[in-house]
Amino acid sequence: MEKLHFPVLAVLFAGGLTVFGAATLADEPLTGPAPPRSEAVQAPPVQVDPLWPRPLPNHWILGSVTGVAVDGRGHVFVAHRGAASLNARTEIGLVASPPSAEYCCAPAPQVLEFDPDGTLVNHWGGPGDGYQWPQNPGGIAVDPSGAVWITAAGAPAAPAGRGGQAGPAAVPPPQDAHVLKFSREGKFLLQIGRAGTVGAGDSTTALNRPAGIDVDAVANEVYVADAGSRRVVVFDATTGAYQRHWGAYGTAPDAAAPAPYDPAAPAAKQFRTVSCVVVSRDRRVYVCDRDSNRIQVFRTDGTYVSEAVISKDTLGSGSVWDVALSADAGQQQVYVANGQEQTVHVLRRDTLAEVGRIGSGGRWPGHFYAVGSVAVDARGHLFTGEALEGKRVQRFAIK
Amino acid sequence: MDRRTITIPAVFALGFAALMAADLKLQNAAATDQATAMVEAPKFEVDPMFPKPLPNGWLMGMAIGIAVDAEDHIWVVHRPDTVSANEAAADQTPPIAQCCRRAPPVLQFDQGGNLISAWGGQGQGFEWPESNHGLFVDHKGVVWIGGNGAKDAHVLKFTQDGKFIAQYGRMGQSGGSNDTTNFGRVAKIFVDPRENEAYLADGYGNKRVAVIDADTGAFKRYWGAYGNKPDDTNIGPYDPDAPPAQQFRTPVHCSDLSVDGLVYVCDRPNNRLQVFQRDGTFVKEAFIAKRTLGDGAIWDVAFSRDPQQKYLYVADGKNQRIYILLRETLEVLSTFGDGGRQPGQFFAVHSIVTDSRGHLFTTETYEGRRLQRFVFKGVTRVPRDQGVVWPK
Repeated sequence: MEKLHFPVLAVLFAGGLTVFGAATLADEPLTGPAPPRSEAVQAPPVQVDPLWPRPLPNHWILGSVTGVAVDGRGHVFVAHRGAASLNARTEIGLVASPPSAEYCCAPAPQVLEFDPDGTLVNHWGGPGDGYQWPQNPGGIAVDPSGAVWITAAGAPAAPAGRGGQAGPAAVPPPQDAHVLKFSREGKFLLQIGRAGTVGAGDSTTALNRPAGIDVDAVANEVYVADAGSRRVVVFDATTGAYQRHWGAYGTAPDAAAPAPYDPAAPAAKQFRTVSCVVVSRDRRVYVCDRDSNRIQVFRTDGTYVSEAVISKDTLGSGSVWDVALSADAGQQQVYVANGQEQTVHVLRRDTLAEVGRIGSGGRWPGHFYAVGSVAVDARGHLFTGEALEGKRVQRFAIK
Repeated sequence: MDRRTITIPAVFALGFAALMAADLKLQNAAATDQATAMVEAPKFEVDPMFPKPLPNGWLMGMAIGIAVDAEDHIWVVHRPDTVSANEAAADQTPPIAQCCRRAPPVLQFDQGGNLISAWGGQGQGFEWPESNHGLFVDHKGVVWIGGNGAKDAHVLKFTQDGKFIAQYGRMGQSGGSNDTTNFGRVAKIFVDPRENEAYLADGYGNKRVAVIDADTGAFKRYWGAYGNKPDDTNIGPYDPDAPPAQQFRTPVHCSDLSVDGLVYVCDRPNNRLQVFQRDGTFVKEAFIAKRTLGDGAIWDVAFSRDPQQKYLYVADGKNQRIYILLRETLEVLSTFGDGGRQPGQFFAVHSIVTDSRGHLFTTETYEGRRLQRFVFKGVTRVPRDQGVVWPK
């Protein structure tokens, strides 16, 4: 019989809820040293709300979640991959031809809007006139005007669907390389870049599978994590006009990909996978270099400020998938979604030192698989989205 | 209800028309108040915090068997090898991440949801299945395990701490549905305490129920659909408009015995339950969600825990819900559950069982990979479609 080692997480969960503070580390009994942490600063305790959001109508189910954002009214916007990420044979029988199920299920529309109570209040997404709907959506952001921004992040050889949805003679659709802006209701407003027109690192017009996105309302600029070109690109949020771009450490992005991440090697001079970009109230730009396990911080003009390595020994897809800033005036905490370690790191923003973690691996409430999106509402509650087979949105209430 | 306030896109309209027609067919005039669509039936409520988090960063793979023992402990068998390398990142060399690891295949939980033992896998003197499938704890406390891998033709018995007791049938030796030595990818086991006989839902390869002596494994009897001699001729895919098949379609997914000595057989892709006497005499059948294709609608059964076992619960891993049947008539009184990853929702709800207090436990296969607990709230007025049964 296997010996059971219950980590600290389990003890805290025994009260029924995931609550995490400064002195806890989910996997300490297993392997590896504890990450750097400050005993002086506590992570805000949070607890999972297992009954958020409300069940979707129409036997709709979520596909792999690629983005979560909260607007000024506390409404939560979710982007997910829909049918392309769901098993056509076993999971979405209502939309098979002929239907293979009588009751459940069908993929939900790819953009969902929940009110603060978790009730689905609107849904949209899909091809339309005047724009190119992504093969796979990536990040989502809602700007202060209420406009919804979505990146087109599909991989170059993305299959048209699992479980036999792709036609035998299907021509691969043009590669995602663009950003879309819609009204809150899903009315098309603006497209930056063109699908199939894949830009290099110095392009002022073309993107390459952009992932994360954020809007700086002060300057009316949209920041794009241009993953495939290993850079951050900034555009005018109204016109889409190119403003500037930069790579790791504020240097020009290099067309050559760095070698795969090696924790023992010197830090890469280029980004590997830029998966997020977030602008703070004090106008610092936080960039996820996912496969390099690091956050880099810049001024809005691209001047490099600092970096922090999170979970240095993580391999695979890396540890820094998405970032959100806490809701307090000073945005004193940074939440880092780590979809490889199945946790959300909590950092002090001033030092970028880790002060806690939320969650561990699994399918139950407060657990994660591939947590790749994180957002915070005005009250400080945390929302997470899980990609791959996680396929959930979860809410963590701040206590 | 929320779902009625959302505009239903035209693309789903046909599906819903069919759904409503199916609902009407299921109406039970005797027990249903037509005006309110309420019915008297068992009521359940999901326990979103059950079980407790697993230790050691352990994850469950496809969870394909569940049982409750005499102490009301909940036993689960799952498939660790279905946890991807990306997710079992700490098991890799070198480790990709600190989390997570594959849990051992057999897990025992107490009523509080605490994992209290874990074991399983290859060992000396027996052939661990290629693909675990089905678990039962019998009246003597013996843990039975089946397997539905391509070569699995056997069942295994263990003590509760994982010590091997016996193997019946040999891997790779299946001779088909009329073999009286080996089995054909057994889906589930149920042991009759009165006669000390094990009923094997046999299975993914064979098209029969097989009965063996629970102590010796000696072959007793077997039968196919309607009590016919099983025939392994391929009868093609299920067609809802064709006459009922005279043979089971694989997988034969459960064969559970009620207190009054009736054997309930899950003929999964045929969307039907067949009921037999202990000796294999056919009694009756019932179809549920008859237009379901592919994996079928009848995945597992469990009995309510009143002395008469008045209600029968049926898991439908294709439509993602549980049916509540009046056992005497096999009429569907009510259903609960829906698709999704949140508490009370399902993806591929595969195995169900009740404990002594009537609480229902479920496991999910494919990418569902959860154990869930549904608290029995008594027999009361409930909607015919209870949807996702969350605590108020």
